[in-house]
Amino acid sequence: MSGVFESPKTRINASMLSQHVSRPVSFIGRVEKVHPSGKSFTLTDGEGKNASVELSNPLEEELSGIVEVVGMVSNKGTIMAVAYNMLRDEKGISFDLELYNEALKVIHDFPQHYPFEVSLSG
Amino acid sequence: MTVKLSEGAIEALIKGNEVTNPILQLINIRKLDSGNGPVRFRLMMSDGLHTMSSFMLATPLNSLAEQNLVAPNCVCLLKKSVTNVLKDGRTVVIILDLEVIKPADQMAGKIGDPTPYVEGQSKAPQTVPALTPAPAPSSTSARPLQPQNGGSMNRGSSRDFGKKPMTAPSTPGGTSKVVPIASLNPYQSKWTIRARVTNKSAIRTWSNSRGDGKLFSMEIVDESGEIRVTGFNQEVDKFFSLIEQGKVYYISKGTLKIANKQFTSLKNDYEMTLNGESTIIPCDDSSDVPMVQCDFVSIADLDARDKDAIVDVIGVCKNVEEVTRITTKNSREVSKRNIQLMDMSGKIIQVTMWGNEAETFDGTGQPILAIKGARLSDFGGRSLSTLYSSTLMINPDIPEAYKLRGWYDKEGHALDGQSMTEMRGGGTGGPTNWKTLADVKNEHLGHGDKADYFTCIGTIVYMRKENCLYQACPSKDCNKKVVDQQNGMYRCEKCDKEFPDFKYRLMLSANIADFGDNQWVTCFQDTAETILGQKSDYIGQLKDSNEAAFDEVFQHANFSTFVFRNRVKLETYNDESRIKVTVVEAKPVDHKEYSKRLIMNIRKHAAH
Repeated sequence: MSGVFESPKTRINASMLSQHVSRPVSFIGRVEKVHPSGKSFTLTDGEGKNASVELSNPLEEELSGIVEVVGMVSNKGTIMAVAYNMLRDEKGISFDLELYNEALKVIHDFPQHYPFEVSLSG
Repeated sequence: MTVKLSEGAIEALIKGNEVTNPILQLINIRKLDSGNGPVRFRLMMSDGLHTMSSFMLATPLNSLAEQNLVAPNCVCLLKKSVTNVLKDGRTVVIILDLEVIKPADQMAGKIGDPTPYVEGQSKAPQTVPALTPAPAPSSTSARPLQPQNGGSMNRGSSRDFGKKPMTAPSTPGGTSKVVPIASLNPYQSKWTIRARVTNKSAIRTWSNSRGDGKLFSMEIVDESGEIRVTGFNQEVDKFFSLIEQGKVYYISKGTLKIANKQFTSLKNDYEMTLNGESTIIPCDDSSDVPMVQCDFVSIADLDARDKDAIVDVIGVCKNVEEVTRITTKNSREVSKRNIQLMDMSGKIIQVTMWGNEAETFDGTGQPILAIKGARLSDFGGRSLSTLYSSTLMINPDIPEAYKLRGWYDKEGHALDGQSMTEMRGGGTGGPTNWKTLADVKNEHLGHGDKADYFTCIGTIVYMRKENCLYQACPSKDCNKKVVDQQNGMYRCEKCDKEFPDFKYRLMLSANIADFGDNQWVTCFQDTAETILGQKSDYIGQLKDSNEAAFDEVFQHANFSTFVFRNRVKLETYNDESRIKVTVVEAKPVDHKEYSKRLIMNIRKHAAH
């Protein structure tokens, strides 16, 4: 799992999870529900679809707003997070999830112009 | 090959009999300059038997004469003509349409030996044609039409109209023949036209030192053309309530005068004023009279038209702004509304509507809007403004409208459209003229007569901090450079005064770059302050006191990115032409908006 940091992480939304099983991804969404255990939460993407995120260690802070999660997609289609980052408003401008989703689609529709996925080593 | 002239046609024409497509030879043509009015051509024609010199060319055909297509000895087919009898009994044949079937250079000379036609003598020449010597063209006319010393012709005859009014009563739509609008001219008085009212104004009143009064005007159309009609005072009382826009009327006996093109877009050299003898009666059988005559100009072509030209346009109402109230120069409050029209040229132009039209205009559903008689302005590049006389038609029942609707629904709606009108403020209202710096060069922006404006995303890669400040006159609203008198005083040539101080102003040369190219631009005071993030007096202070801090300001501004709105123009100094780009506005990049635009452009490129 430590390989996540070194390898390229594909930016995806919830509907692309199933095509990225066992691959490192970056997922940005709005925090919906945090499990009382603090070891999992759900994020909603720019299309309004949900993704479950699982943590190896319980959260130590209150999570809200827009969060970027980096991790590996499990067989169940959940994201096994290795890191997360809250995206706070920048100069009063909030992160636009819908717009981000449109950009995601562009990246995936024209992979020839966005060669981010070099080679996936192991 | 010989040509056979229609012998006897001249006599028939003069008597007002039906002659279909007579073939006549042109003997002589002369140009009549009528002062401020349009040039007219008077022709002497021959049918082989007779000549007659009182043929007039309808003004739309003037080009034929000007291009020498209609020249002495050529043989013409008269496709359409109207015979008018002047008040004094003389006859004039107005030629509305003709075809040259044998050009002058293919003719050896005059056909036959025609003699001037004289009423009552028509048979005489036929019996002794050979004996009558062919008269010289200039002296042929047995009955000169009227004095031909240039400008007096036009004015002389209209004075006649006033002095001796016709005594013969003409019942409305009665005896006089219905003639086409295109044949109307000041030289005739007895006519009736049958035309549809396409636009009727409200009653307007005036009051000045010479008294007061009221007037109304209308535009009427038939299959031959259109004309503007104005009625004053009594005629307002008499006719205003009778006239309904869209209806057809018989109109007779108006006074014709040269049209004032400043107030009308109609394609007619004349306009009509109703007088005491004028009659207007409704016509019920009107289906064959056309509705409105529009000569639509493509929005892209408006660039080539003169300022203040009156034009007809049709377009999709792509965007409607809110009504605003403004106060005019003579402190009258008026409503105005801007809309953006786009046509199949893919160009967009801003149209400003005023008053009631602005208040009531409903642009929901992006209707097709046809405007007859809008005024072209060079405000912000090119824009249009409606006039009192403009006719606005929403979704008009004309083929152009259906064609445009079909185009817009199929492909036009996806087009971004390029505006002919430079938007102020940016962001709000219509589209912005986005360009990359490479576009600016490749498209030769600024090479035209007028400056071009464009907006780009640019990053500052270099600034000339030397000479970016100058010492300016401290008086308010004067930013003229002052001369240091070296005695503690600074002199402003413009104000013709000396001051103990000055203010620093900015004139910053910067090089901006985007992904494809770079460009030197000039930023004046406000835009330079935006870029540097400091006020000019503070920067000036640093320059004099703290060079490190001064440099720091520039360091900080370097590689910052802005949305630049620029003016570009090719300027020539000492025979050397250079493109000069001046920043009109610099503002921070709105990344959301920028991203949206990029995504939209990517999608658009991918679709092609």
